[in-house]
Amino acid sequence: MSGGRRALPYLLLFPGLLWLVVFFVIPLVYMGELSLRTGSLTEGFFFNWQFSNYSDVLSDYSQQFLRSFIYAGVATLLALLIAYPLSYAISFRGGKYRNLLLFLVVAPFFTTYLIRTIAWQTILTDQSPLVEFLASIGLTSNGRILDTPASVIAGLTYNFLPFMILPLYTSIDTLDRRLIEAAKDLYASSKTAFLKVTLPLTAPGIVAGTLLTFIPASGDYVNAYFLGGRNQAMIGNVIQSNYLVTSNYPAAAALAFILMLIILLLVVIYIRFAGSEALMGDEASTT
Amino acid sequence: MRKVVIGAAGLGAAMVIAACGGSVGGGSDAEITTVSKGDAKASGTLVISNWPLYIDEETVSNFEKDTGVQVKYVEDYNDNTGFFGKIRPQLEQGESGGRSIIVPTDWMASRMDGLGYLQHFSVPDDLPNVEANLREDLKSPAFDPDRAFSVPWQSGMTGLIVRTDLAPDIRSINDLFDPKYKGKVTMLSELRDTVPLVMKADGINPDDATKEDWLKTIDKIESAAASGQIRDFTGNDYAGPMVRGDVVAAIGWSGDAVQLQADNPDIEYRMPTQGCILWSDNMVIPVGAPNPNAALEWINYVYDPEVAADIAEYVNYITPVDGAKEVLAKKNPKLANNQLIFPSASYTADCSNQPSLDAADEQEIEQAFERAITG
Repeated sequence: MSGGRRALPYLLLFPGLLWLVVFFVIPLVYMGELSLRTGSLTEGFFFNWQFSNYSDVLSDYSQQFLRSFIYAGVATLLALLIAYPLSYAISFRGGKYRNLLLFLVVAPFFTTYLIRTIAWQTILTDQSPLVEFLASIGLTSNGRILDTPASVIAGLTYNFLPFMILPLYTSIDTLDRRLIEAAKDLYASSKTAFLKVTLPLTAPGIVAGTLLTFIPASGDYVNAYFLGGRNQAMIGNVIQSNYLVTSNYPAAAALAFILMLIILLLVVIYIRFAGSEALMGDEASTT
Repeated sequence: MRKVVIGAAGLGAAMVIAACGGSVGGGSDAEITTVSKGDAKASGTLVISNWPLYIDEETVSNFEKDTGVQVKYVEDYNDNTGFFGKIRPQLEQGESGGRSIIVPTDWMASRMDGLGYLQHFSVPDDLPNVEANLREDLKSPAFDPDRAFSVPWQSGMTGLIVRTDLAPDIRSINDLFDPKYKGKVTMLSELRDTVPLVMKADGINPDDATKEDWLKTIDKIESAAASGQIRDFTGNDYAGPMVRGDVVAAIGWSGDAVQLQADNPDIEYRMPTQGCILWSDNMVIPVGAPNPNAALEWINYVYDPEVAADIAEYVNYITPVDGAKEVLAKKNPKLANNQLIFPSASYTADCSNQPSLDAADEQEIEQAFERAITG
């Protein structure tokens, strides 16, 4: 009986682990192996520990790597600046409309990502009233938004905004309001109460939201493809073209690996910096 | 718990190492399969993969009625490289994913055959309509001189598509480099369309072009793109920006122009002053195709001038079938006289066939071009 009990956690873990092994570990090992091959489509790709694939793609595409992280970083920051006040307002002032407002945040998901992104092409077209207005107050380069970094970053921000709002909302909504009252009782100004109480206690939401936005945004290629021009290609577009257009599978695999490693590194540094307690809640600090 | 994870991962890794012994890419050593029809009557089911909007609405059902073959007509061939990337692992295993006919462009048909992915047939023995009606100038292209594995579905021209109201004076590919149109022009992301057109404008004959000519032309395109002169490189999605007026001139395909012009009279195909690029999309039978007999029946069927005229009337590309023009002239004389659908020899006199690249240089040129167009 007790043996059965001991096995239970493993049994519960089994489906998840199996999934992870079949759809994550195996493809990863396969991709790692592919990234060390050399050759061409006609001669075949042969495995020979071709580590130079990594240095080649890094030197060829460093610009696109840099661009991806800048675009994703700016989009994450913008999403945070938009999402925090919004989540705060929904939680504190939403009243009986809270659920409706949250539904509106999620509503765009009912239309596919691609259609929404393509719709932005029409919104941002050179002749649109919006772009003409922005051009008249001097906010555009050469009178256009589409096919510039601004349109790609705007698209990324728009598309990943709900991923920022939802964790932020959860963490703001579960905040114990009595703590803010207590702070005010102790003569804290609204600003101090926010900085000393609300912000630190909602940090897990900020960390989760920024990760959920930044990671997919840095690997995204749809926004750069539809809203960007030739000079806005992100690393996802480069991987796609290496895999599908030039059939340079080892380079594509090496690029994907490098992207993964850089993101992993950035995330580790970020979590170190933001503090793991913020991500894990109080439990992490006690265990 | 940690132990379990490592154990499971180790198992996974062992399985992969076993699986990784397989090769990736490379030509097949297997003998070329040949299909022939013999006397057997076509029957069963036929799966055709073609480009979107590339057939009229009647032909498939007429074929089913006439032959008793059930056709599953799928429009999943979106671009050559993308489709090849998806289907290659299957073809390498000798499977076609149930497809009996696919429709790659000349160079891709040539590449697929080089890798041993296509079945061969005999036009005189099995395809009498093709033997009788295939246009003379398409009978022996360099990549398949005997038409042993490919039969043209439609042909077309790559040239200039212009908004006549916004860029009335663009007539040559060189005009796309005019600073007046900075940020208002696009080119195709198809290497074998864009680069030869720019070469021709520079007085280089694409058929004699060396690797250096290709790389030099790609450099020229790259610096124009980096400076913002060329706004973007597109597939046939240049149509949207062109209708909106974001783009005033593009390198594009003749058939698109006919269809776009029907909606917007200000959009026009212009033969570049230095000539166009001519290409064909070809019906081929991949290895492992389930019903080659019905596939041959289909290829033969669409080479009936009556059928070809129906397709041409809808598709607006160049029909490869002799006699279709005469059939169409009775029904729709305006289309039959359209130079973009039935071009005269003098209209295409300066045009070149889409060049094929030397296998040794192909990868280097493709990669240089990809770098140029993805900034």
